[in-house]
Amino acid sequence: MSGWFCPEVLLVLAGVVLILADSLVADGKKGWLPKLALVISFALLGWTLWGAGQPMPTSWGNLFVTDGLSLVFQPFFVLCLVGVTFMSVRYPMGKEEVVRAEFLALPFFSTAGLCLLASARDFLAIFLALELVAISLYLLAAFHRSRAASLEAGMKLLVMGGLSTGFLVMGIAWLYAATGSTDFSKILLDQAGRPASLAFLLAVGLILTGLAFKIAAVPFHAWAPDVYEGAPTPITSFLAIASKAAGFVLLLRVFGLGAFALDSVAVVFRPVLLTLGIATVTLGTLAALPQRNLKRYLAYSGIAHAGYMLLAFGTLGEAGMGTLVGYLWVYLLSSFPVFIFILEMERVHGSADLRHLDGLGQRDPGVALGLALCFLSMAGLPPLLGFSAKLSVFTTLWNAGEVPGLVVGVVMAVVGLGFYLMPIRAMYWEREADSIPAQRFPAFLVWILLMAGFFQLFLGLQPRPLVRLVERSLAPTSSSLFPEK
Amino acid sequence: MALAGRGSPMMLSYSLPCLLGLPLLGVVAIALGAPARRTALWVSVLNCVPAFLAFGVVLRQGEILFGPEVTSIREVFPVQFRLAMDGLSLPLVLLTLVVTLSAVGVARAEVKRAKEYFLCLLLIGLGALGAFLSVDLFYFFSFHEVALIPSFLLIGIWGQGDRTGAAWRMTLYLMLGSLILLLGLIGLVWSAPETARTLDWRVLSETLRANPIRAENQFWLAGLLLVGFGTLVSLVPFHSWAPGGYASAPAPAAMLHAGVLKKFGLYGLLRLALPMTPLGWKEISWIIGVMLAANILYLGFASLAQRDFRWLLGFSSAMHMGTVFLGLIGGTVLGLGGALVLMVGHGFSAALGFAVAGEIGNRTGTTWMQDLGGLAQRAPKLWFYLLVAGMASIGLPGMANFAGEIMIFFGAWSAHPILVGIGAWGVVLSSIAMLRAIRGISTGACTAALVTHQTADLNGVKEVWPFALLTFFLFAIGFIPNLILGPARPVLERILQP
Repeated sequence: MSGWFCPEVLLVLAGVVLILADSLVADGKKGWLPKLALVISFALLGWTLWGAGQPMPTSWGNLFVTDGLSLVFQPFFVLCLVGVTFMSVRYPMGKEEVVRAEFLALPFFSTAGLCLLASARDFLAIFLALELVAISLYLLAAFHRSRAASLEAGMKLLVMGGLSTGFLVMGIAWLYAATGSTDFSKILLDQAGRPASLAFLLAVGLILTGLAFKIAAVPFHAWAPDVYEGAPTPITSFLAIASKAAGFVLLLRVFGLGAFALDSVAVVFRPVLLTLGIATVTLGTLAALPQRNLKRYLAYSGIAHAGYMLLAFGTLGEAGMGTLVGYLWVYLLSSFPVFIFILEMERVHGSADLRHLDGLGQRDPGVALGLALCFLSMAGLPPLLGFSAKLSVFTTLWNAGEVPGLVVGVVMAVVGLGFYLMPIRAMYWEREADSIPAQRFPAFLVWILLMAGFFQLFLGLQPRPLVRLVERSLAPTSSSLFPEK
Repeated sequence: MALAGRGSPMMLSYSLPCLLGLPLLGVVAIALGAPARRTALWVSVLNCVPAFLAFGVVLRQGEILFGPEVTSIREVFPVQFRLAMDGLSLPLVLLTLVVTLSAVGVARAEVKRAKEYFLCLLLIGLGALGAFLSVDLFYFFSFHEVALIPSFLLIGIWGQGDRTGAAWRMTLYLMLGSLILLLGLIGLVWSAPETARTLDWRVLSETLRANPIRAENQFWLAGLLLVGFGTLVSLVPFHSWAPGGYASAPAPAAMLHAGVLKKFGLYGLLRLALPMTPLGWKEISWIIGVMLAANILYLGFASLAQRDFRWLLGFSSAMHMGTVFLGLIGGTVLGLGGALVLMVGHGFSAALGFAVAGEIGNRTGTTWMQDLGGLAQRAPKLWFYLLVAGMASIGLPGMANFAGEIMIFFGAWSAHPILVGIGAWGVVLSSIAMLRAIRGISTGACTAALVTHQTADLNGVKEVWPFALLTFFLFAIGFIPNLILGPARPVLERILQP
């Protein structure tokens, strides 16, 4: 089997096939296109899981590497794609149905870029892959050309994304000036064992700033809530999860494993990362409290989660990196079901306002239970999955002796429980059964959410598969995800 | 799941997971639509069977274990589902079972949204049982947290008074306490030598006995554990969630929370703080002394000022925790034994008190003492149980609370004579508060609602048995404290051994 069948190539091909199919099929007969996209994305997910370990084509030179990290995050991103495509099938497009194929195909290109990011080992490759992701997302966020909120979202994403790319490119330029290379291993060799020059540190700082935009870390977070609210919900989920994860994977690549894994960098940037983390956790949690729109609410919750991940990663040890990888998976598993729910809520009620949750516990007990478990998991309540993630963050900080981060993390976890209890309160004790409209959610939603809730519980009690995933992700060699097969 | 405990018969060790499995089955059954109250009742009764089997083994062999072999923390995922019961956890498991049973018994089948109501009650009981039985710190902590959200919902949906505020305050406060406790637990585990690190507190306490933690670290760890567990026990100044929370909670929830769940904090201190950080515990014992004096005096005087019976119970229940802490810093086996007896006795008496308050509230629509009166005349049975609860809380000889308090006072005399004096003063304060309340509620002009109410008194065996059950245990332990102390003595002695 040739290495040309790697997920990145197949993803791009699938996107092209979708666009071709759209232009070849007559109007009015395109109803099966979304389903085709869904089938393809599922097939690709199976392919990444089964074919994991396929080395990348050698002709791509030194730009990419296949190691544990890329093996673990390719399925992650393709899983996000499956979710987005699934939501797109359910997404009401209205009059803009004529351009539907692009809405389906662009996430494929974006995912291809994400998979490339996960395996990049050269700043040029990072730049190219990041632009592939970002440009697709600009288009997708502004997809509702007639809706002002969507256009605003696209515009904000474009400007902010452009700004962050600017920082990144500037950083890469300074890096090249300081070290004479953009290749991770060459930079490492060049810089190892000597004090970092000012130019080098400036480059690192600029690149960190660029990445901080991507993960919506405070103070580079302001775009996130508006964009999340305005963008079409499937795209919101992709932005919130896949795009944020991409930023963190890059942090891992660059600061954890790759070019900047140097003592001279750590001395300067460990406090910076931890401070970013403290600010992000605090602001994300506190600003979430007054939110009344579920999409904005999740945006701030995502910012808070990013803060925890930054805190763990900021210790710049192996434990912190492992925690980050695990936390990203936990974040995916607990927030994606909520996004699927938001989409259905918008279909039924017309908006993502928190008050539509009132009385859900009696109207749709299954949906409410699943949702409650997801929220509590995000809050980090044992024995749910999110607790393992928080526990891991706290243990990492404890062992690194980072008292300020630890204190802020604990206090904000308590405040966080307060804001994750808000929807639960709305669902279970806000309104009595007789005052509830009789609108119902589709049956499959119950199963999805119950399954998600069960997953939170099961993996929370037995996170062994996740821990193995983390271990694999930090392993340097490229071997299959499932070694026993 | 191999391995039974040291010599304990293989089959019997499965009684421990049964103890947790039955309530879980009940929860699932109720969620799927089984009749809520009947299922909860059956589950609570049936749960006594595995409990008695386990008790038998503990009484004969000292302990019963269930679960796989202990592994080091360097495993992929070091958490293991290990359960154990010894002389120290036995009385608390008994307390949980009895209070859960009577709480379900007191709860009405006609309550609105009965399904969720009984589900939450069972979950609180399950959380408490799991916490008392778990050996692995992960489960020890997690099981306690399981009770958090059900309490939030119980107070929020079915509570009275300022239920919203009470529910938020209690939940967030307890979460903060739990997280501080979590830091303490992380600290304990990571201060063990690297090769012997484990999450199993039985192994961990032996390890830390052999390799004591450095003294200054012990100070901080004991402090973290004190603040964490102390918040759960409502030690002043971390108490402000407790009185209001109990006053707003529906009676069965208050019974479970004040009676059982609160004891988890004390249990944790006995299990972890005392044996693992003995030096630190000694060093902070003067801080604890100040706090517990505040508990007894401040909360005692505050309870005098209460006009609502539920609030009074809330304050007096928080106040008695001060006396238990006196036993914990006394440094004698007698004091620890007294603390254990008082924990259990207070569990029964607080549950009885809140149950009586709940019934009074059901019948008259109020628990304001100035609006009440004539209970003795119109509802003699209810009045009797009010008297029992009040007398137990005062510490009348013959009740479990007396046995506990007297042992604590004797045990702590040599180390903290002044605090013992304050503790005795606490008995006076709670006597004044309780007697005034009992006088106000039971004598005088009869409350209008009581006169018109069809069944002013407890109606037959069906309504009496939960009260009788709690009363029985109050007296049984009061007369024969050795029921508890006998099996617990070796464990308590081991705690104090250097």
